Amino acid sequence: MSLKPTIGIETHIELNTNTKMFCRCAVVDTDEPNISLCPTCIGLPGALPVPNKKAIQFITLLALSTGCEITSKGMFHRKNYFYPDLPKNYQISQFDLPVGLNGELEIVIDENKDYIQIERVHMEEDTGKSSHSGSGRIESATSTALDFNRSGVPLVEIVTKPVISSSKQAVAYIEELRQLSIDLNISEGRLEKGNLRFDANISVAPEDSTELGTKVEIKNMNSLRSLERAIDYEIQRQTKALEEGVEIVQETRHWDENKEITSTMRSKEGSADYRYFSDPDLPNMFLSEEFIKGVETLMPLLPKAQREELMTTGLSLSQSNILSKSEEWIKKLYVKIFDQTKDSVASYNWITGELQGQMRKANIEVLPEWFNEDYLSEIIELIKSDKISFTSAKIILTEILTTDTTPSKVAEQKNLFQENDSEKISEMISQIIKENKDIVERIKSGEDKLVGFLVGQLMKQSNGSVNPGMAKELLLKELED
Amino acid sequence: MDVSNLSIREINSLFTKKELKPSELYSKVFENAANSEAALHAHLTLFEEENIKKAAESDKRFSSGKSASLLDGIPIAIKDNINIKNYKTTCSSKMLSNYTSPYDATVIEKLKEQNTLFTGKTNLDEFAMGSSTENSAFGLTKNPWNTDYVPGGSSGGSAASVGARSSIAALGSDTGGSIRQPASFCGLVGFKPTYGTVSRFGLVAFASSLDQIGPITKTVDDSRIIFSSISGEDNRDATSVINNQLDIPSDNTATIGVIKELMEDGISDEAKNEVNKVVEILKSKGYKVKEISIPIIKLSISIYYLIAPAECSANLARFDGVRYGLRVDGKTSYEMMENTRAEGFGAEVKRRILLGTYALSAGYYDEYYGKALQARKEMIDEFAKTFKDVDYLISPTTPTQAFKSGEKTSNPLEMYMSDLCTIPANLAGLPAISIPTGLSKDKLPLGVQIMSKPLSDNPLLDFSEIIEKEVQFDGQPKGWL
Amino acid sequence: MSNEFNIKNIAKLASINLSKEEQDSLSNDLSIILEHVNALSDLKLHAQQQEIFIHPLEKELELQEDEVKKSLTHDEAISNAPESKDGKFVVPPSME
Repeated sequence: MSLKPTIGIETHIELNTNTKMFCRCAVVDTDEPNISLCPTCIGLPGALPVPNKKAIQFITLLALSTGCEITSKGMFHRKNYFYPDLPKNYQISQFDLPVGLNGELEIVIDENKDYIQIERVHMEEDTGKSSHSGSGRIESATSTALDFNRSGVPLVEIVTKPVISSSKQAVAYIEELRQLSIDLNISEGRLEKGNLRFDANISVAPEDSTELGTKVEIKNMNSLRSLERAIDYEIQRQTKALEEGVEIVQETRHWDENKEITSTMRSKEGSADYRYFSDPDLPNMFLSEEFIKGVETLMPLLPKAQREELMTTGLSLSQSNILSKSEEWIKKLYVKIFDQTKDSVASYNWITGELQGQMRKANIEVLPEWFNEDYLSEIIELIKSDKISFTSAKIILTEILTTDTTPSKVAEQKNLFQENDSEKISEMISQIIKENKDIVERIKSGEDKLVGFLVGQLMKQSNGSVNPGMAKELLLKELED
Repeated sequence: MDVSNLSIREINSLFTKKELKPSELYSKVFENAANSEAALHAHLTLFEEENIKKAAESDKRFSSGKSASLLDGIPIAIKDNINIKNYKTTCSSKMLSNYTSPYDATVIEKLKEQNTLFTGKTNLDEFAMGSSTENSAFGLTKNPWNTDYVPGGSSGGSAASVGARSSIAALGSDTGGSIRQPASFCGLVGFKPTYGTVSRFGLVAFASSLDQIGPITKTVDDSRIIFSSISGEDNRDATSVINNQLDIPSDNTATIGVIKELMEDGISDEAKNEVNKVVEILKSKGYKVKEISIPIIKLSISIYYLIAPAECSANLARFDGVRYGLRVDGKTSYEMMENTRAEGFGAEVKRRILLGTYALSAGYYDEYYGKALQARKEMIDEFAKTFKDVDYLISPTTPTQAFKSGEKTSNPLEMYMSDLCTIPANLAGLPAISIPTGLSKDKLPLGVQIMSKPLSDNPLLDFSEIIEKEVQFDGQPKGWL
Repeated sequence: MSNEFNIKNIAKLASINLSKEEQDSLSNDLSIILEHVNALSDLKLHAQQQEIFIHPLEKELELQEDEVKKSLTHDEAISNAPESKDGKFVVPPSME
């Protein structure tokens, strides 16, 4: 029996508004507990919700950017469940009339495009944060402490259709969604801060089956790595169970980061029955054409379009994808350097490879003030015109990242300009041949690899200023004669 | 002449002419409370100390001619489900017996701006659920006309307070008749404004789509003054509306409809007689009166007892012992919440929460809550149609005079039936007023109810004032001054 | 309409720990009330759920600008807490 996994992902993105979803308390990023609260977000008796326009704009923007149909007459629902970090013991959410329906997101895996169908895009409000004293499970916890600063922070939830078939696809989807939220400027997109949180619904069924298998929900995946591992683990677990004839139980499982397994969460007694009903505190929400047009003016160049643009410069899909998911200044730098050099591969390699690599190594987060971006083009041009070697170029880059200087000055000072004059090089070759007669003999008797040694000697004596390509060519010619 | 018998305009005139001081009025009103509280228990708390200070400030404003408000120095009682900052808001529930509000309701802010005095907080049926003020965790309130009888409810404390002249006027809340029914039982004017004209921010929610704050007063004009002071769109209540009043006639060019369904079985002859009496007066003044039929009104109780409990089941979920109010311990948070709610809520509140929970639960939503919403919509449409033919609708306010304490406590459904005439206005969002018109053979007050289309509150008050003048009801219970 | 209900299950959903006596008496009350509200089942209704407005006056939602307004102080917010520690509300363990 051949089995296939089916995965659906629910993602919550914390929106970077100034204020909360249903009150005008500031959204704060602090460890100081319970400092941004009002009657509404701690559910005091008599408090009422008033929706945040910016949040609805952001949700609409995300829905439009994923090609969703926008629900023009929408509404808010109460999702009822008791949990101490949920002040009203209901969460204001959207049920059958979400902001957006039936969208699609283009993702990239290596050199291939793929499309993930989005079922819905809707508003939710966040809960407070619980911290448990005592260690581990409920049996040993002695109390729970609650901070409601996060309570009521606006979230957008994006639910995919069950169309994902591998962890690789899932990771690419989350990466794409994350970048989208950053480019739309609706979220900081920082996974480690919980700006983006995701749960996966996983089932496994026979390849030829038209029905999905029993669905298991996986929670607590805090990074892309854990998403990948958890999905792989769960597919394996379910596949093994089915092969052994063990029934899959519909349940919620918890990804254990340390043990790298999923395990059954302690389920509260009684089945979940959220008793959704329209929130009588919030009249129907009409998103007018004018409102939607206003939102459309906020639409940036989407990652998908960025990739297409980058590919027209000559980059491959995967290179374009990597660039589209890089920080904004990297993207801009590429465009600038490409414009100047018209060499996509060199521009790409120098920026994503050498520049970012050296910065990482030297722990430099932003380019130093003196670093004129044109320097990169200058370096690329120097290499292309054979004025410096690739090795020298790297040295120059290191220098200008740490010292207020220019590439040509460095080349000059460090004597890195290459000797391209063939007569001068030939003179030096003659000298080397004289000094290394035994080596020359051995080359002539077949030890070809010693040519490299002679080139090395040449480079050494010239302090690396000789164009190595030319040097080798001329040396071989000399040896043949 | 006893000053506590005067209307607001009369009192203000005396203040302005310096024939009476606010502090003198307050002393008198407080003395009345001191005389009647033991027998009636209208108030849960009295704010004597603060009021002496505030009345003295009012004295100064009037003596220097600097008062600009009709309500300056007027002692008004506040139902204890409306938040006043730094005072307890108990909702007559054990759940909130120790809860002190950190904020003011919008209506309180507005009254404070007018320099109103708050005599204290009045008793109510727990969380405004009841029709007799017998569901209070803090003891019964008695009818000032005869202490064997209930004052009505849920705003029974507010009505008893004004009835006994322990305050000049009072604020109540009306979800299914909770202002109009006690006003009628206590020989007072009770006005439920159009849904949304008075902000609900700071009113502890029972059923959000039905709740409305309004006045209980001795005269229609007093209700008008208070309504104009507390109404207005509020950006903290998304359901509040701009108070753009319609211009409909109140003179004898208006057409009056007598609702057939509220003059049939289940309505006492005494109650019908009051309506007939008023109809005859109106006819004699040249008003056109006709009988109209709105069959769906017969289903009011059924619709109401699905919608109100459903909304309350979520509105009251926030009372969980986590952030404020009563806490009864448990091994886990969940046990703590269950124990707290078991201990904190009285029987009627539990009944309605459970009924609402059931009506919203999986598999029952469509046949109960969904159906009730549809029927409500149909009722709204029926009223709209009716108001094309008539300007005002007249009916009894209550099927009978006040009933005796304990008479209906054992049969919840019978208690619910006493709201038959008042519920439709809440379901349709209409303004509705109860005007006292006469006494029963037991010497208890009876009233009639007038309803009109949404946002015709001012004409409704004008029309009611005409009836008030013609009827000449002597609205003073004996023995309290 | 069906009136069978599991009072224990409803009480669990509503998070109210009912005594046996309360279960019995509330079951009884609920049956009576539900029997009454069943009157709705015979009704032929025309209004479609989607056409129904939440607001009785069919008001449309207004959205508010994203501008911070100061509200409760930390002390005000936490002043009614049955139990608190280090600025946090404290409850018995809630871990799943």
